[in-house]
Amino acid sequence: MLKTTAGAFVFLGGFAVMVLEIIGARYLARHFGGDFYIWISQIGVILIALALGYAIGGALADRFKTARFLALPLAVAGVFTFFIPAFTPSLLDRIVMRHPLDQPIPAVWQKLDPAIGSTLVFLLPCFVLAVLSPYTIRLAAHRIEHVGRISGLVYAASTIGSIAGVFVSGYILIDYFSVPAIFRGTGVLILALAGVSVVMDRWMKPTTTKQH
Amino acid sequence: MFNRVAPMENRPVRRIAGVGASHRRTRIPRAIAACVLLLLGAAPALPAVVVFDRYSPYHHVQVIETGTLRILSFDGTRETQMSLTNPLEGHFEYTEYFHMPFVWNPEACNVLMIGLGGGSTQRSFLHYHTNTVIDTVELDPVVVEVARTYFGVTESARHRIHLQDGRVFLRRATNTYDIILLDAYTKTRYGSSIPPHLATKEFFELARDHMSTNGVLAYNVIGQLHGWRADIIGAIYRTMKEVFPQVYLFPARTSMNVVLVGTRSAEPYDAERVQQVGMELARKGVLTLPTISTRLRAFSNVAPRAARSSPVLTDDRAPVESLARESNR
Repeated sequence: MLKTTAGAFVFLGGFAVMVLEIIGARYLARHFGGDFYIWISQIGVILIALALGYAIGGALADRFKTARFLALPLAVAGVFTFFIPAFTPSLLDRIVMRHPLDQPIPAVWQKLDPAIGSTLVFLLPCFVLAVLSPYTIRLAAHRIEHVGRISGLVYAASTIGSIAGVFVSGYILIDYFSVPAIFRGTGVLILALAGVSVVMDRWMKPTTTKQH
Repeated sequence: MFNRVAPMENRPVRRIAGVGASHRRTRIPRAIAACVLLLLGAAPALPAVVVFDRYSPYHHVQVIETGTLRILSFDGTRETQMSLTNPLEGHFEYTEYFHMPFVWNPEACNVLMIGLGGGSTQRSFLHYHTNTVIDTVELDPVVVEVARTYFGVTESARHRIHLQDGRVFLRRATNTYDIILLDAYTKTRYGSSIPPHLATKEFFELARDHMSTNGVLAYNVIGQLHGWRADIIGAIYRTMKEVFPQVYLFPARTSMNVVLVGTRSAEPYDAERVQQVGMELARKGVLTLPTISTRLRAFSNVAPRAARSSPVLTDDRAPVESLARESNR
């Protein structure tokens, strides 16, 4: 139960991160144009979110030690993601339109504007999703001798979730759903993770090893 | 068959040029010549030389010369051809359909062209339509450099180049244009790569809002009407039809391109009228393109068959990748 729960939890977190990254690139193109700097922004900003989430998530896990703690940040990230199509277009448009009209946008801003856009839209949800991995390792590793195995499992499950997120987004979601629908669906998925985190503590009790 | 001109295969040139650069310098010209012969299927043994080779943020950009032909290649497929003896010759047939908007708007002078490449269209407009002023929007700085150095593209009061994404440019422009031309697609060996943000209903609305009341938009799509890539042509036709009251087609004969023409005017034209108006303009010296009578005959006002089953592309939903790869139905 412990391993299944921990694995599924981070699998879905990793899945959501890559759906946001891949679909997000398409979403940003209507505002910022061409593909190259959009990808630079998405990959760079999401890696920043992951680094922050891992570092801060690990520290929080040591302090709070309950999955319940994750419910609030996940709920915020879920609601945020659900409403991305509603509130971000005007923000992104403002980034592009802040430059004087009929003048060329300076080269440096042509490169950085998409990164500002990525940050506004995707940093927060991906940061919260990144917290899940170190946090789950802390919850699942009841004995120090098992930390290697547990952290390996969590890394692998989260990465497999991300791999699934990439291919499902690129091969299936983009063909069958609209971009706003995909964001709303991902928002609902993150809210579901928030719901799971409330009841997860009791599933994370060790079943095979006794604690003293 | 993924290239614009059949039978053609550019990749070996690049590969051998790359190998040759590091060693076996003496064998390169002969090897390249052999490959290009293969590419062109041409009889005379013309040597081919790679005169420019660089990776930009967007493409592997090469300039290749074979005989009197200079070729711009992106990622191993041909973007532009130009004759070295006469820069107004040697270009791809489809670029001539960019002159068709004058049939609907003979007085047009403000022209916006999204996509520079080797500048075939710009060269031709500056030569044949002397009262036009052109804004070109090109995303790739290396392409601009190559166009200037190898394809004689000049900037002047009549021709300005803006280094920008086409859609971002339109969003921030306050000008209106009489003609907007789009040639922003690139190709890979898996088919054309379509920038989705330049193919949606919202994009065409943005273009229309920057067009004069008699404005005309011409849009190059890589594909054939009843075969290869028919689905993407159907989808773009349907999408343009959402925004422009009339949409016409000019399928190229010698390459896999279809130029779609959308007019703000709701008045329908048929082949007879296009022929009549076009030839009249040729007599008056408005349409001075030498091949004009042949080009006018490519006109079609029949919706492509695939348009019926194709979706309207929107910013929210534009599955261009799979549309460009679906097999023929």
